[in-house]
Amino acid sequence: MRGKWLYGAVGVVAALAAVAGLIVASTATARPTAAKASCGTVTLNEQAWTGSTANTYVAKYVLEKYLGCKVKVTDIAEIPVYQAMAQGKVSAVLEDWQHVAQYKQYATKQKTVTLEGSNGLTGHIGWFIPKYLLQKYPSFATWKGIKGHEKVFASPEAPQGMFLGGDPSYEQKDTQLIQALGLKLKHVTVGAETAEVARYSQLIAQRKPVIFYWWTPEYRNAELNLTEVKLPARMKGCEDDGTTNAPIAKYRCAYSSYPLEKVFSTKFVKSGSPAVAVLKRWAWPSNADQNLVSSWIAGQHMDPQKAAEKYVKSHMAVVNKWLGK
Amino acid sequence: MRQSASSNGHRHSGPPLIKADGIWKIFGRNADKVVGTPDADLPRSELRAKTGCVAAVRDVSFDVYPGEVFVVMGLSGSGKSTLVRTLIRLIEPTAGRIELDGRDVTAASHDELLQLRRHTSSMVFQHFGLLAHRTVLDNVAFGLEVQGVSKAQRHARAGEVLKLVGLEDAASQFPSELSGGMQQRVGLARAFAVDPKVLLYDEPFSALDPLIRRDMQDEVIRLQEETGKTTVFITHDLPEALRLGDRIAIMRDGRIVQLGTPEELVGSPADEYVENFVRDIPRSHVLTLRWIMREARAGEEDGPRLDVATTVRNAVPVIASSERPCCAVDDGRIVGVVDKDAVLTAIAGEE
Amino acid sequence: MAASSIAARPGIVLEHRPWWRSRMTIVAAIVGAMVICHLTLSRTLSWPDSLVWHSLTHYLDNIQNWLAAESAKTDPNFAYRLIHWISSGLDALVRWLYHLLSSWLTWPGTTLLGGLLAWRFGGRRAAVIMVGSFASFAALGLWDDSMQTLALMLVAVALSLLVGVPLGIVAGRSDRFNGLITPVLDAMQIVPAFAYLMPVVIFFSVGPAAAVITTMVYSVPPAVRITALGIRSVPANTVEAALALGSTKRQLLWKVQLPLARRLLLLSVNQTILFALSMVVIAGLINTEGGLGAPVTNGLNSDPALAILAGVAIVVMAIALDRVTEAIAERTDTAKRHLDVAGRKRARLATGAVFLSIAVAAILGHLLSAGSAYTRWTAQDWLRTQVQNALDYVQKPTTFLFKDITNPVGNFLVAHMLQPLDTFLVETPWFITLAGLAAIAFVLSGLRPATTTILMFALIGAIGEWQDAMDTFSQVLVATAIAVAIGIVLGVLAAEIPWVSRAIRPVNDVLQTLPQLVYVIPFVYIFPISYVPGLIASVLYAFPVVVRLVERGVRDVAPETVEAAGAFGATRLQTLVKVKIPLARDAIMLGINQGIIMVLAVVVIAGLVGSGALGYAVAAGLQRGQFGIGVVASIAILAMGIALDRVTRGNRSAAKGGRS
Repeated sequence: MRGKWLYGAVGVVAALAAVAGLIVASTATARPTAAKASCGTVTLNEQAWTGSTANTYVAKYVLEKYLGCKVKVTDIAEIPVYQAMAQGKVSAVLEDWQHVAQYKQYATKQKTVTLEGSNGLTGHIGWFIPKYLLQKYPSFATWKGIKGHEKVFASPEAPQGMFLGGDPSYEQKDTQLIQALGLKLKHVTVGAETAEVARYSQLIAQRKPVIFYWWTPEYRNAELNLTEVKLPARMKGCEDDGTTNAPIAKYRCAYSSYPLEKVFSTKFVKSGSPAVAVLKRWAWPSNADQNLVSSWIAGQHMDPQKAAEKYVKSHMAVVNKWLGK
Repeated sequence: MRQSASSNGHRHSGPPLIKADGIWKIFGRNADKVVGTPDADLPRSELRAKTGCVAAVRDVSFDVYPGEVFVVMGLSGSGKSTLVRTLIRLIEPTAGRIELDGRDVTAASHDELLQLRRHTSSMVFQHFGLLAHRTVLDNVAFGLEVQGVSKAQRHARAGEVLKLVGLEDAASQFPSELSGGMQQRVGLARAFAVDPKVLLYDEPFSALDPLIRRDMQDEVIRLQEETGKTTVFITHDLPEALRLGDRIAIMRDGRIVQLGTPEELVGSPADEYVENFVRDIPRSHVLTLRWIMREARAGEEDGPRLDVATTVRNAVPVIASSERPCCAVDDGRIVGVVDKDAVLTAIAGEE
Repeated sequence: MAASSIAARPGIVLEHRPWWRSRMTIVAAIVGAMVICHLTLSRTLSWPDSLVWHSLTHYLDNIQNWLAAESAKTDPNFAYRLIHWISSGLDALVRWLYHLLSSWLTWPGTTLLGGLLAWRFGGRRAAVIMVGSFASFAALGLWDDSMQTLALMLVAVALSLLVGVPLGIVAGRSDRFNGLITPVLDAMQIVPAFAYLMPVVIFFSVGPAAAVITTMVYSVPPAVRITALGIRSVPANTVEAALALGSTKRQLLWKVQLPLARRLLLLSVNQTILFALSMVVIAGLINTEGGLGAPVTNGLNSDPALAILAGVAIVVMAIALDRVTEAIAERTDTAKRHLDVAGRKRARLATGAVFLSIAVAAILGHLLSAGSAYTRWTAQDWLRTQVQNALDYVQKPTTFLFKDITNPVGNFLVAHMLQPLDTFLVETPWFITLAGLAAIAFVLSGLRPATTTILMFALIGAIGEWQDAMDTFSQVLVATAIAVAIGIVLGVLAAEIPWVSRAIRPVNDVLQTLPQLVYVIPFVYIFPISYVPGLIASVLYAFPVVVRLVERGVRDVAPETVEAAGAFGATRLQTLVKVKIPLARDAIMLGINQGIIMVLAVVVIAGLVGSGALGYAVAAGLQRGQFGIGVVASIAILAMGIALDRVTRGNRSAAKGGRS
């Protein structure tokens, strides 16, 4: 009986092999002839926010259309992607929000990634409120005007007034800043960016008061009519990272504004691909450009590929600059 | 019904096939430190309170001779099932020495023990212990399979044994498709298939209903006649013990309280505990002429002759119809006489 | 074990104590004393700073940096090279499988292969489910992502079983090994994946291999546990019979224990699949090949409707694989396999026909270039619009749902349950909390669990997580209480009423495999209070396991006992309350125990939707590159889990008597 099974198994394997052979043969002939081999495959990492999707797909479109590269998009989390770049598995990240510790570890010490300068955007973190609130309480334009009116922001979990904190992956110091400013707000962590958006957009839809950690560039800011609360000016030795346990007074200042970095894998830079030069030149002309593409993607649910195509076709001058023409 | 030839255990010849000497089994931490101390003699609950140990078997010794059916009887919790398991070290005895077929089981290495279990002994279990994923035939062949016997040979042998227990038609069925009685026949067949010298039965029929139980007892007696295996049989059922056993050991709280032939138990119970057990047994069904006979006086040799192993009940018609006392004969030799008074006294003892 | 069973014995004797000495009263008294302390010593006395080991996070960061630097060296040491081989092998395997499913067989071939395999081993119903699930991947417009995930899951599940089953066999045969491995398995299930994602990436780089490894950490434990259970559930008398016939240990394993444990082994396959699929999203964070995790992570921001569709695809895959493996398990019921010679011949012919038709389908697929044809038939756009409409509805604050139900309920939960408990635990002086928890543990389960509780909470204090841990602890308690309450009610109902059981099973499957972030996002809109969505996520993830265990426990009460109760004239309700539920106590306690572990497994997700505290710290640890902070918070979660597990498990092992 065992013998018969063996025959059966051999038969099956043979049949499989034949099928596999056929298929391989057919795919081999059907495969489209690769375009200019010099570019090869470029792997871009798309991060979990819409702006990053806009960056990635616009760059992808340009590289594929004009250089014949094969572009692969990955969706690796922000910190693990450094290890991926160090090993050459990801070629580039086109928007990095100042991961200083990683710059030190991977760019300075290991030299496995390189910082390639700004992507044309200026990132800025701050405290935001909806405009209708500012109209009702004009003093809320600055933090001083909020002092004494914290109760306006009361919520079930913070009857004394709620400050809505940001996504755990972003740099923040609001607990310390609130303390340093002597405000009676309670810092409430609402969690991931999506959850924070859900929470404040819900409150804004009810036209209730809300103050929260937020940033520019971000396409929603215009849509929801947000405005920033003025915080104390930057000073020397100003701290932005709440986890460093610096003296509380060091935090008594607004967040800094900084360029958003392009980070490349050193292996990619040394690969000699024409894509390196193009990506080095690649940058948005202004925050508004990215917001435009983002709003197509997230606001109108346009396919990112099509949104990229639409942008490229309507901004040929910008694209030509990237291509070095 | 029982064969007269096997009714007297002392008649078996040769050295014992099973020798159990001072077996102890104590469950619990530091169990080995209890044996030999005064604690070992404490009643069960006191021992437990004092040491946290439970003594299942205490200082049990017995011999079983070739061809003999040795029954261990006791209520549940008396330690009888533990005892039978220590014989092939399914449970490790805490102390004592066991010999099986001349080999020291207690000192046997792992391999020797395997060989012993494969070739010398076989066991039948209360809940059958059949392999639900195998056919009846493969269940019966299992013992041979673990010995490494080829498939053709073991299936042939299993087929023979199945015929012996009358299950040849069920060979390709699965255990779950059989009734309880049939399942235990499979258990019997499995035990006989390896042709062991010693058969161990652990309450094999207590899960069966009474009619089937009787059938199965007949089956065991029949197999015993045909094969003459040395047998240790565990039961909690006194009639079963009396029916099957050449000798019976009664256990209570881990100790043997009496060991003897059926008629010794019924005729002279060692203590109140045994007496309570045997009270409802009709003495005339168990006692034989050997038990009630007296020395023959001169001139009494011409009375009707009966085998000395005849039970009183079976002797009554002969004795009642005879004017003269009856002669008890063993191997053609007159060993004593039984008169009407003796018979009446024996029967009267039953109240 | 022996010691605890003896220690528990007096407890049985004391069953008739007066009400004021019952366990619940004592616990209530302890809580009362704690409340009084809390009120009188009104100042917050958190764990003293002098007793915190501050440099721990720093050390941990250094370790990670060192590992990263080692891995970046051009001439790595042997360990790294070995790991590199493993990871390239895994990468290749997953990619090969994906190509097989997606570009070699093409979708007609793959669908046919899946359907026919299910038909051959699981019967017609299984085949219909399988084909239906493949069709829905195409209809959702997620065929490629689904095949990526399927390839990854097949490899992860196969490896989990390859690792888990042998370990389970050893654990099933050796109490010692079982005792050693159980805490490891607990840790694998409780420690949040976010904490070890970065080390996994350092060792295995990004890609399918890293995703497989991450998934395995979570899916090996059920394989081990259920295999061990299977080995242990082989009837003792069968094992004894085999031993008495002279079986060696190996013969016992191969000829008796494994064949008889077959059904549970297949259940372990089934559970391993479900656990593996619940890791799709997190594994997606370090995978380079896409899969269903990517649309969930990215979609949450830019296209929530797409994220939900991807979540649906994950659930469909889980349910299909679950039902098909279950059907296979039913089919291979040992006593039901009757194949005569003719039947075997037929079966072989059928197998041949199957392969032939798959080959034909695949070739047809290529001729029609069907590799991409599904996009023509997808209903993705229509579905997305529908889902988006539903999302828009729940986001509208003016709806009845929001104004009159969810908002007041949410506010009530926070104001009257979570907030007071949180304040109480955070603000009560630390030594009072510690003493009180230990005392409660002692009353409920005895000395050892109490000692464990003290040690674990002291550890939490020592690593500087006292305050966050108390915050998380309060939410875990509330979530567990709600999950257990729902679970027991539904479990009892499901055991009593067949249609409830039938109705609840798919719900359970959905809740256990749908990525929590997907279903919790709508709750962020309709319960816009930070703690509540996290609470809901925890409860929804934890109660299915309670339902399952309680249902099984109540069902397994011996029918004779139930019959006896009926014979005494007990009503159905009386039978339930006085007989079935008390007898199912062990199963219910196990349900509570497992419920807590499940709640702890969601702490990070809860932290991402507003529960904050430890979960938030773990997430921040990964996403801000602060390895140490993440690990320390994970240790705190684990410590809390161990304490709660021992306290709820103490009863169980004490109630079990020795073998007589």
